[in-house]
Amino acid sequence: MNTPNNSDGPRRIRSLGQLAQDIPPPRDLWPGIAAEIAKDAQGAGARSRDANPLTRPQWAALAAVVAALAVGVWVGRNVIPGGAQSVPIADGGNAQDVVAAAYIKDPRYMRDRAELVRSLDAKLKTLPPETQQKVLTSLETIRKSIADIQAALGRDPGNALLQELLVNSYQDEMRVLTAVHAAEGQEI
Amino acid sequence: MMTVMASSPGEQIDWVSGLIQRARKGDSHAFERLYREFSGRVYSLCLRMTRDPAQAEDCVQEAFINAWRALDRFEVRSSFSTWLHRIAVNVVLMKRRRVSYGLETPLESEQLEQSDWQLDTPVEESELEEAIAGLPEGARDVLVLAGIYGYSHGETAQMLGVAEGTCKAQLHRARKLLKERLNVGLN
Repeated sequence: MNTPNNSDGPRRIRSLGQLAQDIPPPRDLWPGIAAEIAKDAQGAGARSRDANPLTRPQWAALAAVVAALAVGVWVGRNVIPGGAQSVPIADGGNAQDVVAAAYIKDPRYMRDRAELVRSLDAKLKTLPPETQQKVLTSLETIRKSIADIQAALGRDPGNALLQELLVNSYQDEMRVLTAVHAAEGQEI
Repeated sequence: MMTVMASSPGEQIDWVSGLIQRARKGDSHAFERLYREFSGRVYSLCLRMTRDPAQAEDCVQEAFINAWRALDRFEVRSSFSTWLHRIAVNVVLMKRRRVSYGLETPLESEQLEQSDWQLDTPVEESELEEAIAGLPEGARDVLVLAGIYGYSHGETAQMLGVAEGTCKAQLHRARKLLKERLNVGLN
């Protein structure tokens, strides 16, 4: 068939923009939404009118994460000769576990991280002193960020931005630990 | 967009902005009107990104709940629909996100112009939806946002939390894969 819209058959289209952009959900989701909204109203009273929901410590944590990521990327590029490479340790784990309300609880992740932390000192000793210092500084910054974000989430557990920052921070930490693990014995 | 007369004489208020202002003051009925108006746009985006109607429903619910909590941060001059899409994308990515253990090599970026993604020959809508659903996650996400909903490379990259170069490379990849699956030219 060549006609774009044949009333006798399925609809044919010529561009992605012609695909439906408004598909109603199969069932009415409002009751679930209303229930959560009602809980918020009962718990918090009047809605906060604070236009800047992040406090100064939270912004500091955000800035520290950005800075730590820059350091982490540097480590990734310089510790592994030839640039960044993917060094998978295990499967990604279940996403629901990773972003569960209490944050990072995937057992495989926890096990792998514990192993990397245990072997960190020995592996750091195989790297040049300047690189060792950069790695330690990076990890310290990332871990402080994690602590700040967790404290902020304790006060605002539903904050999606903070949750995302926390997951990103754990990823940054794992990238640094993995890079050190992979670079053992290699010269820069 | 419909306009309604405000209580003040001579003042015209955009009805969505009016609902948002009321919802900000705690009017859940106003927010329900917003849900009724925009849930279809949010669901269609979530459905294409998750490929699972039940997951998409969860994402829509969570997106609207997050939107309710973040209404104070919405800037009235921007598009409410786009703002909801940003929240929905964030919800989908959060539910999907896995802890990655290594550094990822970014794809080679290529110069790509914004295009309307025109097909040489028409294809059945269901066939195109199926082909899109079969794309790898990264390519599918950027194709849905840029190709279907018309967001720019910059907006798409920002919503997905990736570099603009990565976004362009994923679009290029999506284009190639769609061409192969549909066996048609894609301009």
